[in-house]
Amino acid sequence: MSDLSDALAAYLRDKLGAPDLQVTSLARIPGGASRETYRFRARYAKDGKSSERGLILRRDPPASLIETERATEFRAYKAFHKLGLPVPEPVALEMEGGVLERPFFIMEEIENCQAANILLPDPYGAHRQKIGEQFWRVLGEIARANPDEIGLGDLGGAREDCAEHELAHWERVILEDEREPQPIARAAIRWLKRNLPPRAQKISLVHGDYRTGNFLFDGEGNIRAILDWEMAHLGDPLEDLGWALDPLWSHGDPARPAGTLPREEALRIWEDASGLRIDSATLYWWEIFASLKGLAIWISAAREYAEGRNTEPVNAFSGWYCTAFHNKILADRLSEAA
Amino acid sequence: MKPEADQILGLSAFQLLGTLAPLLPNAYAQGTASLISFMMMLSAQEYERAADIRAKENADMRALFARAAPKLRDAELRSKLQEAAHEAESSLEISALNAANYKLRRLLIALHEHADREGDRAASKDVWALLKRLADRRFLKVPGQ
Repeated sequence: MSDLSDALAAYLRDKLGAPDLQVTSLARIPGGASRETYRFRARYAKDGKSSERGLILRRDPPASLIETERATEFRAYKAFHKLGLPVPEPVALEMEGGVLERPFFIMEEIENCQAANILLPDPYGAHRQKIGEQFWRVLGEIARANPDEIGLGDLGGAREDCAEHELAHWERVILEDEREPQPIARAAIRWLKRNLPPRAQKISLVHGDYRTGNFLFDGEGNIRAILDWEMAHLGDPLEDLGWALDPLWSHGDPARPAGTLPREEALRIWEDASGLRIDSATLYWWEIFASLKGLAIWISAAREYAEGRNTEPVNAFSGWYCTAFHNKILADRLSEAA
Repeated sequence: MKPEADQILGLSAFQLLGTLAPLLPNAYAQGTASLISFMMMLSAQEYERAADIRAKENADMRALFARAAPKLRDAELRSKLQEAAHEAESSLEISALNAANYKLRRLLIALHEHADREGDRAASKDVWALLKRLADRRFLKVPGQ
């Protein structure tokens, strides 16, 4: 760890123009399978003032769960931090990663906060209402933002035929990564193709993984940071809503999506914040899509784990528990519709 | 009576979670150990049911193929389904059950695609009913909930 600490200190001395900068307390923390995540403190003097700040390093692992674009994630942090949403301030991005061997980025640490464990039945306790109101409002605000005005208009994704574009992408992931035949995923793909939704009412920046567990909240029930923007892209804002509503993130109570508010209340807050209206049939399509996208991600995780490229236990968990979960959600919903 | 593998996995998981994980030096190590212990608990659950699930799935798929095959106009698919419907398990080892299961699932996908292509709603509904049973059986309960 001291090699990494030394390399990080040398990099930041140069980057921040602080020749006496010291890195302390470097420790790896849980941060998902797609990046190695470390917490550390940087102490330095600049312009005659000494300062110390907590920072987070997110470094590519030797193999990544999903092919994510680190520059996209960094730019999304930058844009929404500037817009005043609860997003950590990004500090540095290195695409080549020479000094730390692999590509990485550094951002502000949001201290004294926690993220929900998706397996806990009531992660927000007395703050459920307060956190829920913020959670759905922030998602609405992301949907409301104009990607062109916040400098994200050139990101990947689609401005036309968003549903077809996303479906084609995740179908390709399933076909490439499945290690065993997936009859439910295949049937869901056919259902989605037969029932494509109308054109998006607005093109937004889609976070791509907005859900319980991917934000930090403090002891007062304030959401302090929306994290994990690595799958951000342009598309239909209902895509994010469908994902956030998915039963996998409901902490065991699908009537309260994300373990927060009753569904109708959550949707009303989102509509008010986004300025958009929800067509229930279109949202249903995006909810089915969300479970399929989940399956695609878990199928990839299973492959990474089974083939030994990334043996983080979270990949075993995703590839097994989450696959079984989303197969059941899709089979329950689509067998009723059959 | 010797301890069975599921008991060993379950008790080891509790020891890892309750005794060993808190001794680890940082949040990453503790979190990883906790998740490993959770996976051990799921594995204990799976030890008891894995062969049973696969044998039932395979039997269900063969039964569906026996019912569906005579109604198919596609001669090649009909023949494959009829052949699969008459097969039996060669072994109850998980690897053998999986091999049979994957072969049957490929045929199930082909049957479902055929039903959708032909607009045969009754056949599609039958496949969905089977898929729901498969998904229900494979669903994993969170230990302690």
